[in-house]
Amino acid sequence: MVELMLPKADRPQKGKTRPKPEGAKRLREYHIYRYDPDQNANPRIDTYFVNLDDCGPMILDGLLWIKNKVDPTLTLRRSCREGICGSCSMNINGLNTPACTKGMDDSTGPIKIYPLPHMPVVKDLVPDLSNFYAQHRAIEPRLKTTSPTPTKEWTQSVPERAKLDGLYECILCACCSTSCPSYWWNGEKYLGPAALLRAYRWLIDSRDESTQERLDDLEDPFKLYRCHTIMNCAKVCPKGLNPAKAIAEIKKMMVERKVAA
Amino acid sequence: MREQVITGDIIADPKTKYGDAKASTRHFITQRVTGAINVLFIGLLVFIVVRSAGQDRADMVALIGNGFIGIPFAVLLAIVTVHMRNGMRDTLEDYLSGATYRLAMLLNTLFCLAVGLAGVVSILKLVFWG
Repeated sequence: MVELMLPKADRPQKGKTRPKPEGAKRLREYHIYRYDPDQNANPRIDTYFVNLDDCGPMILDGLLWIKNKVDPTLTLRRSCREGICGSCSMNINGLNTPACTKGMDDSTGPIKIYPLPHMPVVKDLVPDLSNFYAQHRAIEPRLKTTSPTPTKEWTQSVPERAKLDGLYECILCACCSTSCPSYWWNGEKYLGPAALLRAYRWLIDSRDESTQERLDDLEDPFKLYRCHTIMNCAKVCPKGLNPAKAIAEIKKMMVERKVAA
Repeated sequence: MREQVITGDIIADPKTKYGDAKASTRHFITQRVTGAINVLFIGLLVFIVVRSAGQDRADMVALIGNGFIGIPFAVLLAIVTVHMRNGMRDTLEDYLSGATYRLAMLLNTLFCLAVGLAGVVSILKLVFWG
């Protein structure tokens, strides 16, 4: 249900400002959300200065520079640093994006970094994605067939395979779902853009034989129809995918099924 | 009635339903169809508003009392209230849940019914009885 204000205990307060690195000529200011569940205190926004002459060009480089050289307690997820794994997704200057593919020179002024919005925070920039993954599990993202398994492989024509382009590339970074107001208000019940994009990927897969069951499972005022085509998902997707279009296609399949019945 | 406690297991179960599954697609179709009809009828509404600007009651009665205008206008009003109820349902589902939602939805239905009935009956009265 909708929450327009953060509870008092969750409102970030002004935090510490770390000293500028000695002798550094080119600096970049980082404002970073810090929260430690073990300390009985509100979250805070700490200020750091990154020496650009000693650091890579991406925002993740800056965060790792801070972690390695200034404050080892700063907590964040990262893995591939190539925009493939989706681990380092966070809210940077108001936009959800993987920190590894966002350059420091994409913006001017201090870089403001928060965890992905409207998710429980485990620590600092690490959100709890259990709900997000449970929703992904709920759409059963795997080939479901009833026909006997072929001896070699499930074949698919080139045009049938082409239908999956723009759908299979999702890296589950959660940028789209956590940028969606419908997901903020009804995150437990609405499956969200990422899960629905993946659901559509399996719905139109020519090899899958569970289309009707999949549609049955999605037919719900919350799971699917909470999408109001706000389009934040398409705007933030780091892979350039369009979950809103996939959701519209699922709705179209629902209508066609209802009309044909 | 006690609210359903939503846990990770419930979310991960593809068979979990959070609302009236069978009605959800029907509501979606109704909303789109009534929305499309409203767009078609918008010309009639604009015509009535422009035509009635600065007119007195007798002119209004004559305008709405014309069957070719009054009857489509009554149909439009009925469709608009159906669309209004559906749109409001969407908003209420977004922001409320449980007993509060059910109460708000009941008030929404009663309000739309009252507006629709009063409007349609008033227009038909002008058309058939002047």
